[in-house]
Amino acid sequence: MENNVSHALHILEEPVQYMALGFMALMYIIKISQMLKKPVPPEKAELKGDRVAGAFESLLNVLKPWSMESTRKNPFFYVEFMIFHIGVALTIGATFLIPLVPVVMTPVVSKVFMLFMGLAFLIGLRRIYRRLTVPEIRIISSPDDFFAITLMTVFFAVGFIAMSLWIQGSPDTGWMWVFFLMTTFFLLYVPFSKISHYVLYPFGRINFGRTFGGRGVMNKNVKNPSWNPK
Amino acid sequence: MSEQADRLGAGDERKWPTKSEFTPEMLKEMEKLLPGKLNRVVAASLSGCIHCGMCSDACHYSVSIPEDKTLVPAYKADRFRKWYKSKYDWLGQIFPSFVGAHKLDKELADDMYDKLWGACTMCRRCTFNCPMGVDYGMLVRAARGLMQQVGRVPQHLQDTVDTHHNSGNNMAVPRDEFIETMEWIEEELQDEEGCENFKIPVDKKGAQYFLTLNPREPKYYPLTIQASAKVLNAAGVDFTISSRYWDLTNYALFNGYDPDAKEFSMWQVEDVKRLGCEYLLAGECGHGYRSLRWELPNWVGGVPFKITSMMELLAKLVQQRRLKLDKSVWKGHRFTYHDSCNIARSGGIMEEPRIIINAATDDFVEMEHNRENSYCCGGGGGALAMPEFTPRRIAAGKIKADEIKATGADIVLQSCHNCTDQLKEIIEHYHIKAKVMNLAELLAPALVI
Ligand code: SF4
Ligand code: SF4
Repeated sequence: MENNVSHALHILEEPVQYMALGFMALMYIIKISQMLKKPVPPEKAELKGDRVAGAFESLLNVLKPWSMESTRKNPFFYVEFMIFHIGVALTIGATFLIPLVPVVMTPVVSKVFMLFMGLAFLIGLRRIYRRLTVPEIRIISSPDDFFAITLMTVFFAVGFIAMSLWIQGSPDTGWMWVFFLMTTFFLLYVPFSKISHYVLYPFGRINFGRTFGGRGVMNKNVKNPSWNPK
Repeated sequence: MSEQADRLGAGDERKWPTKSEFTPEMLKEMEKLLPGKLNRVVAASLSGCIHCGMCSDACHYSVSIPEDKTLVPAYKADRFRKWYKSKYDWLGQIFPSFVGAHKLDKELADDMYDKLWGACTMCRRCTFNCPMGVDYGMLVRAARGLMQQVGRVPQHLQDTVDTHHNSGNNMAVPRDEFIETMEWIEEELQDEEGCENFKIPVDKKGAQYFLTLNPREPKYYPLTIQASAKVLNAAGVDFTISSRYWDLTNYALFNGYDPDAKEFSMWQVEDVKRLGCEYLLAGECGHGYRSLRWELPNWVGGVPFKITSMMELLAKLVQQRRLKLDKSVWKGHRFTYHDSCNIARSGGIMEEPRIIINAATDDFVEMEHNRENSYCCGGGGGALAMPEFTPRRIAAGKIKADEIKATGADIVLQSCHNCTDQLKEIIEHYHIKAKVMNLAELLAPALVI
């Protein structure tokens, strides 16, 4: 099966989306360069561990739920987090795969995408509920936090419906239009929103890994007999 | 000795102009100072929080005082972050309330004062539980530095720094009094059986180790100096104590004022060079260790000697079998160990204390959270020098008290003077039957000489 979309939708899917993508990339470049311009605190102390190994280990933190007590103690929260973020990647990925390589989006692949979209939608609902009802989360939540999670949750739902119609052989639907319009909006809005946290993630993690890797607090298996008492 | 050589500290009788209220002028000044505090770690920590709340259970304040939700780490950091966002966040500049940004006004500044001086010990436990790597140690220190520079700093904490600046140590112990104290402790040590030839060398040139002390030791806890000296003598360690810059504390780590932090560090560096020692040896003091070992080389731009600590040295002596210990001395006692945040989480010393403890006792029980996961006792970040926040400090120590109680230990070991004082207070407050000791005090009675 190969679905095709109308010329109008194609314009939204391709040139418009590319322009939005270009805008997002430009904003990210500015954001990253602003951060890179900030001075890095020096480290002139004799190291006990390895700052580079620490930075790598810290960057992979997201894949190691056992490395932090907060994820160790909440495996359910971590699983939710993973599914949600895979859902994000697949949903955005779908908006590129559909116009560019529709042949890839077979019913089986589409169903896998839908599965994650559906789960991410449910998780999104739970996250909204948590933000509203858990006092220590509500107290730190800004309208942007609510808007971001609501937007994502709606995005998953729309994507899910558009994909299910896609599988049934109706690619050019109102839902698909909304799906792509939302993607375009995302690309334009995300650099200004908390959703762009993934651009800052490497900075925070590398800072952490360099500091505590160098001090021998993490990556303790780095061999350095001058300090390791074992 | 010339008068110049004898004079310690900056000698200018500085009294930092502290203020009891934020004024519009002070806020304006803070606005001017903010960009200078934004290094990459601080900036990433201010912009990187996603309000996920995963740090909420990591903080001893929020865990011990669950009814006060404003004590969760992200809320506290947001007092600073709101201001930052109003200036640097793209949306925050246009729609501040949408992203939780807020211009710096008196109300926000007051809140910042309350939360970042009085409800955070910069222990970084939340940092270790934050998926984004938000560094609360650096973030809070930057905020404190901004407030301190305009005079809004807890009086007693600033007095401690001023005293250090003015007299070379934070308790204004005069040089002659210090030398006399060392001589007296040496005599006491020599009165102990088998210690007749033990010495506390002062200003010995070319000694291998330059031992530093917390001023509370010569002032209030001379027995800890005696214990340390006994252990070092028993192991044949070549050490000395300077009569000049022996104070390893650096409360400018807590008030965030870098010029003082640098100045205190520089004095010590010059003193180690004066005596030509191979190692600068941090005594048992948490923030002092971190200040010397990890911050001093950065504050002064590198040092031509090595820096180590009593914990590391004692562990080495145990491993090299240079200390003969009789465990039976401590029979009938159960021990636990509190990891000071600046020693473990921010300092990387986690196994050394356990090597020392296991060499001296067979009954050692870990607390539920230990090593880099240890909860702060509540005495860090200069908290003990901020009496206006004492009730909250004691309340925040509940989680640590509960964990101590659960071990059934009657002796709580630690390696930090701020921890000592806080642990003693919470032990009393929460009715725990235990006493607090440092590691040298554990080893000294068990020595077979
Ligand atoms: S640094 Fe420590 S005291 Fe401060 S918010 Fe984090 S966990 Fe709490
Ligand atoms: S865990 Fe980190 S990102 Fe999450 S709320 Fe706490 S500081 Fe912010």
